[in-house]
Amino acid sequence: METKDWIHNIQQGDKEAFRAFYEAYADYAIRTASAITRNREMAKDAVQETFIRVYRQIGSYNSELPFEPWFYRILTNECLRLLKKESPLSKYEHPDLENEPSLAVESFDHLSDLYDTIQTLDDGHRIPLILKYVKGFTEKEIADILGLNHNTVKSRLFKARKRLKEQLDLIDKEERSQ
Amino acid sequence: MNEFDKRTKDELQKRTEQDTYGLQDEIWNALEKELFSEEQPKKGEVKKMKKKNRVVPIILTAAAALAIVFSLTTDTGMAFIKGIKDMFVPEKEIIQSIEGQDEPTDVHLNEGTNSEYVIYVDETRYKMIKGEEADIITTIEPLPDRYPEVSMEIKQVADTKPEDLVGKIEADLKKEFPDLRAVETVTEPVEGYWLHGTTGSEWDSKVVTAYVISNGKEGSYVITENYFLEAAEGHGARFHHMLKSFEIVE
Repeated sequence: METKDWIHNIQQGDKEAFRAFYEAYADYAIRTASAITRNREMAKDAVQETFIRVYRQIGSYNSELPFEPWFYRILTNECLRLLKKESPLSKYEHPDLENEPSLAVESFDHLSDLYDTIQTLDDGHRIPLILKYVKGFTEKEIADILGLNHNTVKSRLFKARKRLKEQLDLIDKEERSQ
Repeated sequence: MNEFDKRTKDELQKRTEQDTYGLQDEIWNALEKELFSEEQPKKGEVKKMKKKNRVVPIILTAAAALAIVFSLTTDTGMAFIKGIKDMFVPEKEIIQSIEGQDEPTDVHLNEGTNSEYVIYVDETRYKMIKGEEADIITTIEPLPDRYPEVSMEIKQVADTKPEDLVGKIEADLKKEFPDLRAVETVTEPVEGYWLHGTTGSEWDSKVVTAYVISNGKEGSYVITENYFLEAAEGHGARFHHMLKSFEIVE
């Protein structure tokens, strides 16, 4: 069954359609939420709330627009809301977003792998990167999901990948010298 | 996909794997309890409960009329009530869902031409321009030229009932929107006929959403929302929420 059929049936309150939709979307939604929140419980809450919102607000979805960016916009917003609740000074809303992606100073020396490096980027660069590599969204889709200009996403991904490559070179060099 | 992209993708895949174990079932159980347990009202019931009468109940109007009579006879009363509009709070906060996110918004009461209807307008973003033939709610600052029109027009056609008018509105809209959808009837955000069309699927393709509803007498109100595809979940959703507060007061 295609997404549009699921949506139609979910709008009619069809539990089986919602279940099938959940089975199809849950895995990547959990992975994405887990990577964004860095916390299993928070990821669980974010995904749960996202599916509840989708079920209750499916009527507000405009079927002329692609479904996945709409779904992931809700999921990302929910993750950010929970992160903000946890730490009111969310880095995502930091005004320096357009600057070079920063790594948390205290953990810089202890980065042992790529995932740790991604996770220490500031949210403005980390989240587009997660959306690109977990789910494979295009720059345009990431821009839609995060409500950003296409060029802003392009620039952030470029900087984040550059930063990541530098760190990866360091890791590789260390591994070779051991 | 180059080596770097592959390595990053694989790493994220590997490191998020463990979180999916067991969580999928755990979340589904919670969803089932929240959305499908027997204590929850069924979807249709919720909708039915939400449905509301667009014309202010006659008992309220009568009460307001009595209050006006009272107000004309005493100075205290004169200061107390100035009209039917006073039945509505001038400003309130609503929670509107924009792109899946609940957004608290302050909205202000606005009267239509000749005070025949009221609507709460999000005055942080929009302004209401009253005209002789129609009132228009549009962005406070005009949008740059590259954007199509963003507005919501509210027009009364006092002498034609919705069922007689909707065909003409449909024909008019089809001139600019040849792929206009078939007319449907809706109960939200207002109760009446719903027309919807777009000029394409580009970000700036024009979108029109129109409602033809009863004016409570022998005529109609035609409410026409204009925006563009990329703004559907922004301006489109905000117009939808504002329209939910539309009330005929005469």
